[in-house]
Amino acid sequence: MNYLTSIKKVILLQNTRALMCAASSVQNELLTTQKVPWGALLTNRQYRSMPTHGIGKYRHLLPKTLPKKKKDKIQMKQIKAASDTEFGVLNVCVSGYDMTLVEHYSQYIHNFCNHLDIKVVESYALPTKTTEVMVMQDQGTKMYVDGILKTYERFVQISEMKATLCPIFMEVLLKNQPEGVQLCVKEHTEADFQSRFKARPELEGLIAKMNN
Amino acid sequence: AAPFRCIYRPLWRVITGSGRLTVGMRNISFTENHFSATNHKTASVGSPWTLHGAVCLQRLPVISQDRNPIEEEFSGLMQQMELERSLLSDHELRLLEDAARMSRKQEEDYDSDEEEDYGDKEIVTAQDLEDAWEQKLKQFHPAQRSNGDKLDVSSSERCLADSLVLLIKQDVGSQKVWLLPQVQWKAGETLRQTAERALAHLPADVKATFLGNAPCGFYKYKYPKDIQKEGSVGAKVFFFKAVMCSPNHLPLEKNSFAWVKKDELKDFLTPEYLKQVNRFIMSL
Repeated sequence: MNYLTSIKKVILLQNTRALMCAASSVQNELLTTQKVPWGALLTNRQYRSMPTHGIGKYRHLLPKTLPKKKKDKIQMKQIKAASDTEFGVLNVCVSGYDMTLVEHYSQYIHNFCNHLDIKVVESYALPTKTTEVMVMQDQGTKMYVDGILKTYERFVQISEMKATLCPIFMEVLLKNQPEGVQLCVKEHTEADFQSRFKARPELEGLIAKMNN
Repeated sequence: AAPFRCIYRPLWRVITGSGRLTVGMRNISFTENHFSATNHKTASVGSPWTLHGAVCLQRLPVISQDRNPIEEEFSGLMQQMELERSLLSDHELRLLEDAARMSRKQEEDYDSDEEEDYGDKEIVTAQDLEDAWEQKLKQFHPAQRSNGDKLDVSSSERCLADSLVLLIKQDVGSQKVWLLPQVQWKAGETLRQTAERALAHLPADVKATFLGNAPCGFYKYKYPKDIQKEGSVGAKVFFFKAVMCSPNHLPLEKNSFAWVKKDELKDFLTPEYLKQVNRFIMSL
């Protein structure tokens, strides 16, 4: 019995020793098949000092992302003021009745800005406005619906455009403007930012009640 | 020496362009809020070059350019593919329903009480609507895309698909030369104001929007030896770009004004001048 257990221990020891020899290449000990005291092998943890310790770690390299709270109110990004040589934040607004033309033109502007290394902050769309065209009937006073027109708007927000680059930019935009599409370049204000949100009538009613 | 201080405040403006085929021009409205730069320059320590400001007045293209044969084929193909892949619209569904209802009416055991959604679809069928719309379409006549060769070089309604530049014939020294409208710079004004003055000096009343405070091009030339005085060696011309806002219906004199495309410039301008001007005129 004793002989068997001792053989098993030796085999175990040999296996662990083989693994450790494969992991570390710095060992210069003579490999003996003689019995080695237990304690020496088990307390000999060399991997923390190995040059490859911690290989494969990447979490510490990523930027720290705080967990996002759902109740966060969407804050407006600070509008940069215009300086002597650069504009602040400009809104290029493309609007029209034909959606394909409007979208393609706004994509063209966006790609053009990328190509010229102009910083594009945001590129968003306002909700579609539907207009009903009513026509008076020939004989009679009733109006009937002649047609439905939908107005589409796309915005490309640009920041810090150099004043020297601006004339070239505007000229290219004006020359490539398709028919039926309106182009509008204006400064970005807080009112523009607030107009993107939906009005909340109940909240406003409650606030009015509170103030009265 | 007094410091040379040049503050160029950028201008913000609202430019809206709407393409209308009937009018030969797009409407560009322009609100300007710019601070004029204070340009303090001592006159005594001046360079021997006289400064001029010139305006490169452009009429933007009114309609889009014609397509290549390849582009035509491709657009036809894409339209056909879209049509084949699309679903039926409300109007087309109504047409089919009306046709089905008509065929049911012809049968012998037709009971009108079984019909749902009777209403006023009996009175005005979808086919009637379509016919009325076709009649309206026939009454609409779109404007001509190209005016042909009826218009000569001095009309601004020429090639509607290209952008045109205004040239005038001025006498420089003793010769009459075609060039962009230019005017000499006066002390105390910015070069852009000089360019605006050059625009105002034209006999035709044009409203133009300047695209920026920065000049787009520059040309210098030396006076011939006999005219060179001690103070002046030659002249430097700075070009500013402007875009025409309103349609110009006033007829201009044929021999002294011309609206030209980029490739026609070489027929009018001297080679040196042309080389500098070509650098900033875009052929779009």
